[in-house]
Amino acid sequence: MTTSNAPAKGGKALNIAIIVAAVLTVAGIALWAVQLTGGMVQTGMRNLDSWGLYITMFMFFVGLSAGGLIISSIPRAFGLEGIGGISKVAVWTSICATVVAIGFVVVDMGQPFRVWELFVYSNLSSPLMWDIIVLMTYLILSCVYLWATLRAEAGKVSQLALRVISVIALVCAVMVHTVTAWIFGLQASHELWHTALLGPWFVSSALVCGTALVIVVVIALRKVGYLELDQRHLVKLAKMLGAFCMVDLYFFGCDLLTAGFPGGTGAEVVEMLVFGPLAPFFWTEIVGTALAAAICFVPAARKNGMLVIASVLAIVAILCKRVQLLVGGFQIPNVDMPFAMTQYTVTNWQAGSMAAAYEGMVYWPTMLEVGVVVGIIALGALLLLVGIKKLPLKPAEK
Amino acid sequence: MARYGMTIDTKRCVGCNACTVACKINNNLPNGIMWTRVLTEGGDAPDTPAGVFPNGKMRYVTLSCQHCENPACTKVCPVGATYKDPETGVVRQDYDKCIGCRMCMAACPYTGVRSFNWEEPAYALEYAVGDADAPEHQKHVVEKCTFCYQRTSQGKTPACMDLCPARARNWGDLDDPSSKVSELIASRSYQQLLADEGTRPSVYYLV
Repeated sequence: MTTSNAPAKGGKALNIAIIVAAVLTVAGIALWAVQLTGGMVQTGMRNLDSWGLYITMFMFFVGLSAGGLIISSIPRAFGLEGIGGISKVAVWTSICATVVAIGFVVVDMGQPFRVWELFVYSNLSSPLMWDIIVLMTYLILSCVYLWATLRAEAGKVSQLALRVISVIALVCAVMVHTVTAWIFGLQASHELWHTALLGPWFVSSALVCGTALVIVVVIALRKVGYLELDQRHLVKLAKMLGAFCMVDLYFFGCDLLTAGFPGGTGAEVVEMLVFGPLAPFFWTEIVGTALAAAICFVPAARKNGMLVIASVLAIVAILCKRVQLLVGGFQIPNVDMPFAMTQYTVTNWQAGSMAAAYEGMVYWPTMLEVGVVVGIIALGALLLLVGIKKLPLKPAEK
Repeated sequence: MARYGMTIDTKRCVGCNACTVACKINNNLPNGIMWTRVLTEGGDAPDTPAGVFPNGKMRYVTLSCQHCENPACTKVCPVGATYKDPETGVVRQDYDKCIGCRMCMAACPYTGVRSFNWEEPAYALEYAVGDADAPEHQKHVVEKCTFCYQRTSQGKTPACMDLCPARARNWGDLDDPSSKVSELIASRSYQQLLADEGTRPSVYYLV
């Protein structure tokens, strides 16, 4: 339609970034091979804390994938004014985050070569199965939505069709976060996870970090001259971020009060979060989210630099929430009577006793896990950068 | 149709770990893996009582898969690798099917009864021990007590029960009112672990 819609060639910096991301991706895959051949004993995970950094990052990236899609589909679905044509970049960010999230499930599996079984022996009563179905649908829909947006700009797809797709994509996005929450929230065995609020809360957290990611990406792309965006659109995004932060804090408050008020075992969970080994994550989350909201709400503070700080705070806060939720779920064992432990029992088995193993955080990742995580995030970055370089994601001229 | 269950007499159990060893040998368990363990209800360390002499208090609780009537694990397995055997009510594992996602381990409320082979199984001996048809262990899959399925399907009893010197364990059909386990449950007071989880375990602790 216009020259601005042509693929960006990108400068030298973009090429270097792509190469760095590619190298890190390959290194991550090599480390994953090390994990598969030498065994997952090289991770920090053990029988009593059987999920770790990978599932934490899975939750986190499913959340990050929300922002782009929801932000670009809400205005279209409701026929409101869009946010300055950033929707294509935003959806592409979503797609990359979804790929990363799926990557984290794959590296967490002990038998990744049996992944085909998911489609042949699908047990439809498993929330994990639901999530795999919804996540796949979400990925495909995001791609369809991006494609439809491009075709609509070229006049090949009607605005009505695009609007219908955006409504379906929006519903699917909400489902993805809810079903991901259900992987945890439907487990009665972990008191921290077992709350009906977990679904809506995952949606709100996804909106917090998703919106924050879009703000960071958009400010960065504007800075390097990739796109132009009126400041009022950024202010709109910032106000949304502030509102989402408040909703997330409100949900957290409701949940803590409901768990702690009766005083029973729920109060132990609250105590563990507020004063226990996970307190640093808890307080970073609370303070980070509150500060991000404050920056977003005070007009004088809504400068670009400050907005980036607010977004980073929000993203870090939600990452802390994921850590706290995952490790916290394992931090209080249902059966805590002492027994003879082995090297596979719990991360800190060498501490000697159950009580000692649970004194600090029950789980902590190894360098191998950190390396694999860096590799998978690099894969997402690689996709994002190649997309920016090769795909026509620039805003179309009105 | 049957519903296999077990009673464990906590008044008889002396915490000797013979069941732990019997299970390990008969199922040829790899190093570091225990499908049944002896837990001490009392002090902070195994085999220590709570309280001060002469008022010390201690009890042993042996813990393995509870073969729940309403298992949390089977529902969440995405591929049905862990499933409830319709003939016996035993919760079984299909090692060849398990994708190693550890969803069942997260779902099970009974801390640590499910174990994952975090590396290639290694053994103390160069040859396999125990039951000839015990399934071969695999790296990166979840496994647990099967009530010695390879033994019970041939009319034998689980290894842990056979070797218990205090005769604390009994195993049989909970649906058959004349079975030893049914009689014990009818005549003795008992506890079930984490009863409020709603899993309806098939293991009864006689008290």
